[in-house]
Amino acid sequence: MTRRWFAVAALLVASAGFAETARDPAHLNISVALFDTGVPENRALHRDLEIFPRVRKIEALYLPFVLRKTLTASGEWGAIRVVPDSDVAAELLIYGTIIRSDGDVLGLQIRAVDASGRVWTDNVFSGPTSNEDIYQAIADALLAMRQTLDERALRNIIETSLLRYGQQLAPMAFDEYLQENADGTFTILRLPASNDPMLERIERLRGVEYVFTDAVDAKFRELSTDVATVHELWREYRRQFKRFQQEESLRVQTKPSSFERGSYDSMMERYETYKWDRQAAEEQENWAVGFENEMGPTITAIEERVEELEGWVESRYAEWQRILGELFELETELPD
Amino acid sequence: MRIRNLILCCAFGAGLLACTSQPTVSESLQSFAGGMPVDLSGSWERDYSRSDDIQAALNSTMRRIYRAPSDVTRPAPPQNLDRVVALARFADVITQFDVMEITQDDYEIKIARKDDFTMLCEFDNGNSKRTESEFGAEVCGWNGSQLTSYLVLPDDLLVSNRYTLSGDGNSLHVATTVSSGSSRTPFTINRVYMKFEPPESDFNCIETLSMKRVCSTGEIVP
Repeated sequence: MTRRWFAVAALLVASAGFAETARDPAHLNISVALFDTGVPENRALHRDLEIFPRVRKIEALYLPFVLRKTLTASGEWGAIRVVPDSDVAAELLIYGTIIRSDGDVLGLQIRAVDASGRVWTDNVFSGPTSNEDIYQAIADALLAMRQTLDERALRNIIETSLLRYGQQLAPMAFDEYLQENADGTFTILRLPASNDPMLERIERLRGVEYVFTDAVDAKFRELSTDVATVHELWREYRRQFKRFQQEESLRVQTKPSSFERGSYDSMMERYETYKWDRQAAEEQENWAVGFENEMGPTITAIEERVEELEGWVESRYAEWQRILGELFELETELPD
Repeated sequence: MRIRNLILCCAFGAGLLACTSQPTVSESLQSFAGGMPVDLSGSWERDYSRSDDIQAALNSTMRRIYRAPSDVTRPAPPQNLDRVVALARFADVITQFDVMEITQDDYEIKIARKDDFTMLCEFDNGNSKRTESEFGAEVCGWNGSQLTSYLVLPDDLLVSNRYTLSGDGNSLHVATTVSSGSSRTPFTINRVYMKFEPPESDFNCIETLSMKRVCSTGEIVP
């Protein structure tokens, strides 16, 4: 009961006003959803595609933070947060799917959509070895898109974002402001007054949610150094394996066997060549297990934080929705 | 490409004499529905008393060659005998391991052999799936309750292993047949393995990427 009254009090206290409109609209807030591992369900394909599901799982958690780092370093954006699930009300939401990650090449399918439903990019970004190049390319693509939008369009994104967030929590109060079009885009029908109490509450609640997300984010940053070091080691091993394969292939092609075909030595040579190749492939699988073992505690810590966030948001959403509904009824009921 | 050709060649039973005297690849590549027909998983150690002696197996093969009808009027050419001896030596060396560990699920069977590479049998929805590189290829198939694995290497070198589990599940018979394009006669050697429970280690070990294998007598925290 005490907690409930605390929540109600927090919602009733006046906020500092519609602060969102005061910021530079070019500095949109970005939410980066945890990446899709891109691991096909059919396990029989994993070896052919050189996919190591254990490593992909870690990369899907880790790589969004590398992207966040690049975007933050550009200084072109507002707050950039990694979120466990698709935050559809985000001003700009980035989804990513890992389509290739073998140490030599990283390929990411990146889709960025703003709150009004406008698609900023939906492309594959890939490149050799250096991940930084890929993230820079993504950052450049987003920046290029932003530069095509005028201030009014950018402000419209911020307003739509807040209204969509409000719609999630208090549909009875915010449905009338927005219209979803057939193509999945959103149009603002009209804006609430800048001192609308319900709007102020929504802004405050969003702020609370962001504080929690940021806490998770900060925790991850402490752990990301470990992941980065081991991930780089993994990539280096993979590169060495590729080099070994290429060298072996060249050796077999350019130096034909000196043994008579069908002789014992010739057969052993063939067998040993295959054996070394297979053992090298087995070693890779051991590396993937080693990667997971080494990162296990780190990943568990991240997953626990994410779970904590999801549980917290879920329980608070239900509470906020109920309280906002009650407040809306109180504020809109006609006097006797 | 050459390896793929060999598999196809065996599948059609033409071109390679070796393929006519042992199970062809296509015969054994039967699909299965649901789980695998037999569970071969476990630790296996060689039963020397029930396994072939290489000299005895070679003598037996030689006797067969000389007894063959085509050889009554024309003895086997010395070149072929040299090749059979080479095959026998080869078969002996690649079946030297005395312990193997088999793991299996619905997608794959891994046969880890001491001091050798782990043989791999992959399946996709019950259908045999080839594991291939430019140095060779592996493919397996169930023939009833028998598993046969094929290793196809360049120079038409083919190694097949037929695994048969005993009724009580405690022994595993492995018939290894090697053949090459330069020998008319394949060579087969039989090994028998008994199931055993590996003793528990005093150490707890895990693989790590930066420190490789890490072992401790206590609990390991990476």
